[in-house]
Amino acid sequence: MVLKHLRPLQVHFSPASEQAVGVRGGLWVLSSSSLSTSRLPLKVDWLILEVSREASLPSEVVRSKPPICEAEVEGSQSGVIMESGRVKGTVTSLASLFPAQDARKAASRVQDAISEKQRELEQLRGFITDNDNLIKLVQKLPEELHHEVMVPFGKAAFFPGRLIHTNEFLVLLGEGYYAERTSKQTAEILKRRGKALDSQVDSLKAMMDNLKAEASFFDATASEAEDGLVEIKEEYVEENFCEQESTSGVNKQDVPSVSGVDKAKIAEIDAEYARMMARFDELEKEEELAAANGNKSDDEDEEEKGTQNQSLERFYGDKQSLSKGSTSTWPRDENVSSKELLNKYQKQQEASTNPSNCSGLSVQTSPKEDVTSGNNSLTESQRVINPNPAAKSVTFAEVKEKNQTLPPSTNQAFTGSIIERPPIIPKTSKQETETTLQPSGSQPSKPVSRFKMQRR
Amino acid sequence: MDVVTDNFRHEKVQRFEEFVDRRLKPDLVHAIAERDKVFEQQKVFSDLRRNIENLEKNSITNVRTLVNLGSEVYVQGDVPDTRSIFVDIGLGFHVEFTWSEALKFISLKEERLTRQIEEYTQLIASIKAQIKLVCEGIRELLQLPAERTVEERVF
Repeated sequence: MVLKHLRPLQVHFSPASEQAVGVRGGLWVLSSSSLSTSRLPLKVDWLILEVSREASLPSEVVRSKPPICEAEVEGSQSGVIMESGRVKGTVTSLASLFPAQDARKAASRVQDAISEKQRELEQLRGFITDNDNLIKLVQKLPEELHHEVMVPFGKAAFFPGRLIHTNEFLVLLGEGYYAERTSKQTAEILKRRGKALDSQVDSLKAMMDNLKAEASFFDATASEAEDGLVEIKEEYVEENFCEQESTSGVNKQDVPSVSGVDKAKIAEIDAEYARMMARFDELEKEEELAAANGNKSDDEDEEEKGTQNQSLERFYGDKQSLSKGSTSTWPRDENVSSKELLNKYQKQQEASTNPSNCSGLSVQTSPKEDVTSGNNSLTESQRVINPNPAAKSVTFAEVKEKNQTLPPSTNQAFTGSIIERPPIIPKTSKQETETTLQPSGSQPSKPVSRFKMQRR
Repeated sequence: MDVVTDNFRHEKVQRFEEFVDRRLKPDLVHAIAERDKVFEQQKVFSDLRRNIENLEKNSITNVRTLVNLGSEVYVQGDVPDTRSIFVDIGLGFHVEFTWSEALKFISLKEERLTRQIEEYTQLIASIKAQIKLVCEGIRELLQLPAERTVEERVF
């Protein structure tokens, strides 16, 4: 029952408030006088886990969230908890779910069952004492050769007589089979029967304990219902998960938008994205510098790639801290995006949009080559974007080969591809390119031509 | 007015039903249980009579039997002289009889038991009749149509 969750939370969060306090993360804490008197000792692990996760978030993240909302619950039989106009959960009084009368009735029924079991238990106890007496009797009989007794004759009559052959007993084994046993053997059989009876008594006692617990539970429920305890239910929506989804969605959108370069989308991108862009610009500058240093060998290029990777990682680290609470989910997203990219490579989509598509380049861009060669500004801008064209082209070829031969799961291939994403660059780095170089109508088709240049 | 009479009628019906459920039916159950006990006794004594007649017919003077000690554990019992027999005459008393005396007592006892059975049967019948009567009264109070007696098929 959801109700049971409330107590541990109350301990953790709001020890003395008189209201229901909604806590972000799908949790609601209710502390009212009735709750504090409730004696439910149950703990729910996932709730506590959720709480701890909440608590361990960076303070910045917590602050950025909407203020904790409060819902008035007292006095209302049932209601709805709202947060910023959104339905967060429902408040139902326990009495409406489990009427006190019904609970009492159930409790009395369980009590009846208990008394019945009690009777059974007494009966069993009687059997046990009978059995013990019989064992004693059987052990005692062989002490004498014969005993003077009244031999029953039917149910209503006796003959005066005696017991003879006192060490011979006929014992019923069950199903109408009898065995002739001595006194000792009979006593052993009877002892075994006694053990069976004991185990029956034990099981009966266990059942009675269960029933008693049930009865006490029903009683507690009834008294709680009378006290006006309230049950608060909220759909458990893992917000972190949602955020992760949304961010990953953004990421996915980014990747294609990189190729598409949708201005409207760029406009929507928030400060976080701007920061990301700034980071990219820095990287661009670095690359530019590197390019200015002259030609580099393939090995050097590899090294540079490594540094780029690091910087990228740093960037992602920043982003992690920025992102709300969804810390652990980032690497997965990267993987996803990388896979997407690689898949794209394999599909060899339009080279014009994605410069890293090496295979399509040669064919598609051949006509554009003239254009690029003819237009200096274009080439220069290209250079800005891709600092050392020659080296890059080589690496790209490598990447492409890898993609074609190997499954697109390797980390390196992924990082390389991400770095090469061209569309990000034109978005924000445009100003830079414009300022430093001649303004060129940098269009999505540019990267292709640039690639061509590199090839040359 | 209607409401008042309705309430009154409802109360009456309830009382009748309570009378049937709490008084008559338990009485009936009790009477039936008593009669069953008497039946059992009757069977015990008829068995005893048959046994004694058997002993008489075969002129058996000593008997070997198995005595039940409880929990279906039997020991052999020996009766050297069967001519004297102790018969339960009720209230925990046993009287020593000879065979002929025992048979006389048993016939008296059986007669009494049959009378008791008859009494109990009468009692049960009257209780059943009372129940039926009260049920009819309830039906009239509720103004329900009389139960149609299902015509029995004649085979």
